[in-house]
Amino acid sequence: MRKIFPAEELARDARFIRQTNEQRMGDPRGARIAGGNSGTKLAKLTPELANGPDRARALMHGIFVGEIQALEGAGRTCWDFEVGEDVPLELKLDMARQCWDEARHCEISVALAEHMGTELGEFAENGLLYEAACNPDPVLRLTGVNRALEGLAIDVFNTMKEFGNMAGDPVLEFCEDWMLADEVTHVKMGSDWLRRLTENDKERLDKALEFQKVVDKLFSFNGFRGEDDDSPIQLTRRFRELAGFSDDEIDEIADMSREAKAEVTN
Amino acid sequence: MLMTETKRPREPFAPWDRRTLPGLFDVDETAKRVGHYKWVELKLFEALGGWVATVPELDVKIRLGTHCYHHAWHADLFDKRLPELREMKTDRLTLPANDHMVAFIDAMTEPEDAAMTIEKLVGVYRVLIPHKIAAYTYHRNATSEITDMPTVRILDFILQDEFNDWREGEMLIQSMIESEEELDRAMIHQTKLEKLMLAAGGIAGPGSIGDAYVEIPEEN
Repeated sequence: MRKIFPAEELARDARFIRQTNEQRMGDPRGARIAGGNSGTKLAKLTPELANGPDRARALMHGIFVGEIQALEGAGRTCWDFEVGEDVPLELKLDMARQCWDEARHCEISVALAEHMGTELGEFAENGLLYEAACNPDPVLRLTGVNRALEGLAIDVFNTMKEFGNMAGDPVLEFCEDWMLADEVTHVKMGSDWLRRLTENDKERLDKALEFQKVVDKLFSFNGFRGEDDDSPIQLTRRFRELAGFSDDEIDEIADMSREAKAEVTN
Repeated sequence: MLMTETKRPREPFAPWDRRTLPGLFDVDETAKRVGHYKWVELKLFEALGGWVATVPELDVKIRLGTHCYHHAWHADLFDKRLPELREMKTDRLTLPANDHMVAFIDAMTEPEDAAMTIEKLVGVYRVLIPHKIAAYTYHRNATSEITDMPTVRILDFILQDEFNDWREGEMLIQSMIESEEELDRAMIHQTKLEKLMLAAGGIAGPGSIGDAYVEIPEEN
């Protein structure tokens, strides 16, 4: 088996449909995911919205395929790097633990998707998340995946948890809360390893944080994740703080999202 | 009020406790074996993690992710046991039993193609894990349950995982074999890997499960 497995070769059964991010955003069904492909259509995800339940279904399907890619990414980190030469054993043990967590998240999210009336493959998948997990530098990989993408997962799960609460769906609220607890753990892993592995390497730290910004920006399309009341996905300060983010770092993500949103609306 | 007679002597070992002091392995031999076990668990969890992206079957993908952690935890348990066996630099004993064992792991981890899930599963669940269960069971039963109880306790936890994972893996294999051609593929791959394991003498080398034969003195 090769080291570094390319995103375009990720193994899927016939139900899965792969699209590029551009295709996915142009897909009319994608409108349900972000509330629209232009800033004017952005709105906080609530059950009262005319397309609220459909958007929630699409988001849950997105969570499911995201969990599969997160599982694959953590698994590849177990395989791609050598203990001692590239990474400490403890880092790989954390990644193996993350594999188990992501495997459970796949089970939870596919069951929740069914619970919400969604068929597997009803919405398209893109490989962006896994692509971040292909970075050949383990520090950059962990920063991109565990801090940027798992950080996004904190915001998404908290939004879905609130949606479950508003919709009077205790099953959704219960499961999202459990997954949220795991995601805080994963982001903290990323924060801790970033600190440990770059303790005496400022240049590598800067490169890793820069990579995190690139990934964060990539997933801030149309500013759909932010602190404004109309942001479809709400940036969650409290849980990000628990996971090792500083106030400045959270402010920066919020600013990035506002800029992305302004670019679309202007 | 009637009180318990505190001065009445009792044996240090209860009548039902038949554990004895001697075991087959001294401290150095135990450390060497534990180092081999850790190496195998490390290679296994790395492979399971790497394969997740390469298998299209959703249930297999999820199971591999789950089992990946089980074996990482086993590697961690063995790693933590080594300093207690006087090996402070645990990497020094984290070694394959021999070159044949390296060849086995190389062959087991070779399949990558999405159409080779059967081969991936056979290598792990029909060859490696049964050999691990055998070696761990031998060690658990042959070592001293008094002096080396920490290793016994670790092996008990690990064996519970191994049996459960073996059962799940075997059921996945049975569910995937639907034709004689697929059965042949499974058997051919199993035989190839078993031959490499035979050359290795088991996961800890020759003597992995002891020697069951009796030496008969030559007659004059």
